[in-house]
Amino acid sequence: MVLTRQEIKMNLRSLLIWAFCVGGMCLGCLLLYDSVRESMDGMGELFADMGAFSAALGMDKVNIGTLEGYYAVEISIMLSLGGAMFAAMLGAGLLAKEEEGHTTEFLNALPLRRGSILAEKYTAFLVQLALFHGICTALILCGFQCMGQMPCWESFLKYHGAVFFMCAEVGTVCFLLSVLCRKRPLGAAVGLTVALYMLDLMCRVVPALEKMKYFTPFYYCSGADIFSGERAGALGWGIGIGVTALALAGAFCKYRRKDLC
Amino acid sequence: MRNAIEMRELTKTYGRNTGIREITMTVEEGDMFGYLGPNGAGKSTSIRCLLGMIRASSGEAYVLGRKVGREQKEILRRVGYVPAECFLYPAMRVEEVIGYAARMRGMDCTGEAGRLCDRLEVDRRKRIRELSLGNRKKVSIVCALQHRPELVIMDEPTSGLDPLMQEVFFELVTERNREGATCFLSSHVLQEVRRYCRHAGILKEGRLVKTDTVENLIGTRLRRVRLSGLSETELPSVPGMGALWREGEELVFSFQGEMRELLGALHGLDIRDMLITEPSLEEAFLHYFDR
Repeated sequence: MVLTRQEIKMNLRSLLIWAFCVGGMCLGCLLLYDSVRESMDGMGELFADMGAFSAALGMDKVNIGTLEGYYAVEISIMLSLGGAMFAAMLGAGLLAKEEEGHTTEFLNALPLRRGSILAEKYTAFLVQLALFHGICTALILCGFQCMGQMPCWESFLKYHGAVFFMCAEVGTVCFLLSVLCRKRPLGAAVGLTVALYMLDLMCRVVPALEKMKYFTPFYYCSGADIFSGERAGALGWGIGIGVTALALAGAFCKYRRKDLC
Repeated sequence: MRNAIEMRELTKTYGRNTGIREITMTVEEGDMFGYLGPNGAGKSTSIRCLLGMIRASSGEAYVLGRKVGREQKEILRRVGYVPAECFLYPAMRVEEVIGYAARMRGMDCTGEAGRLCDRLEVDRRKRIRELSLGNRKKVSIVCALQHRPELVIMDEPTSGLDPLMQEVFFELVTERNREGATCFLSSHVLQEVRRYCRHAGILKEGRLVKTDTVENLIGTRLRRVRLSGLSETELPSVPGMGALWREGEELVFSFQGEMRELLGALHGLDIRDMLITEPSLEEAFLHYFDR
């Protein structure tokens, strides 16, 4: 696990910046709840009449006039999108940064199998993702504590578990990109994340695109859906698991045969 | 004597381009072997194939008796590699990089690393990004030698080192060689190969042109011939004649054929002066690269 530890050590600063920025924004928004509560009540009524737009944000399922509803609709987007961006950039950099920085030669002259390098890098990715979510979750819970209300634990844990898995899925796809590219595909990683998020919004608004929901992992980790008690379809989860497994297998297959320079 | 390195018909192609073609050669254990060739000849490609960084298109290679690709971890555990261009992690300190390389090998090389750093005058507290090319090279050398490998593969190891440090480096390598380590030195610098290596292989356009003892390679029949009083058109063609050029009034060419035939062909021509010399070290090697 020397490589895993080293990888985490090298990314620690970036991890802390991302975690405290995303978690801090979530905390800040939670602390602002009291001052925006009245307008949220009004907004809830206003959005209730906006049909598809309201559905896109999940406001037809939860009441954003409550702290939990406000968290499920407003704050969960920050965590989902911020977490996915972080995971995408982390995954995209894992191996491509070695080629970009020309340290591949140093790394591959050390007695490690290619598969071990990949496994250790991926473990580092999962540990960092877990740390990121741990910090964000702790800050969010601090926010709830300060507001004097705790969320429904079952929904809260389900939602955070789903977001963690969604981030792992996005990050794993970007990990595959990292194996395929010689330079860090950061643009592609961020673009992919935004595209998947937009696809989630679109398939909630446009009925003709409903089937597309299976192509975006944001669908099964919607805060509004989970906090309203709606069960995410098993197919969505299944596709998510399949995509993650395929991306990981693809990364292993490609990296084991890749010419490094 | 066992072979430390064995390449059998090793070929690497990149699309239409060929990196190396059907290289077959061996390096005996305990040897100090020079690997010579101009830029793009395929020296680094061969080395990367041996280290498993790139996959050979065909052929096979064995390092320390183990097959490249199949037993790579075991090979790399026993090999030290000094790359031509030393890229390390810029944010890390020198001691961290050296310690990291040792830990990856599951070894504590603190003592040996310290001795190497002292001899190469490496500042262990500096960050990699603060180091010059030469100092980064020294860090690579420490990483490659600290675990006392059985085989040291060096790809132009002295580039970037000042002459004094080059001496120190070769002292270290020679010591390791005397202790039994095999040294494989890829270099442009012919003097290095002549001075330190016992055997050498010469690579040209991806093919192994010649492999022999350095003594035999230098003791070639190649001669440099200088003639005064003749024009290019008057000079007869004799098998073994190499590139021809004019230096002032003299016609100069390299000759590797039968001297009797050359003298016979020149007999009766209006030659004012003639000088036949042994080639310089550079010429002795470089004629292998003549197109």
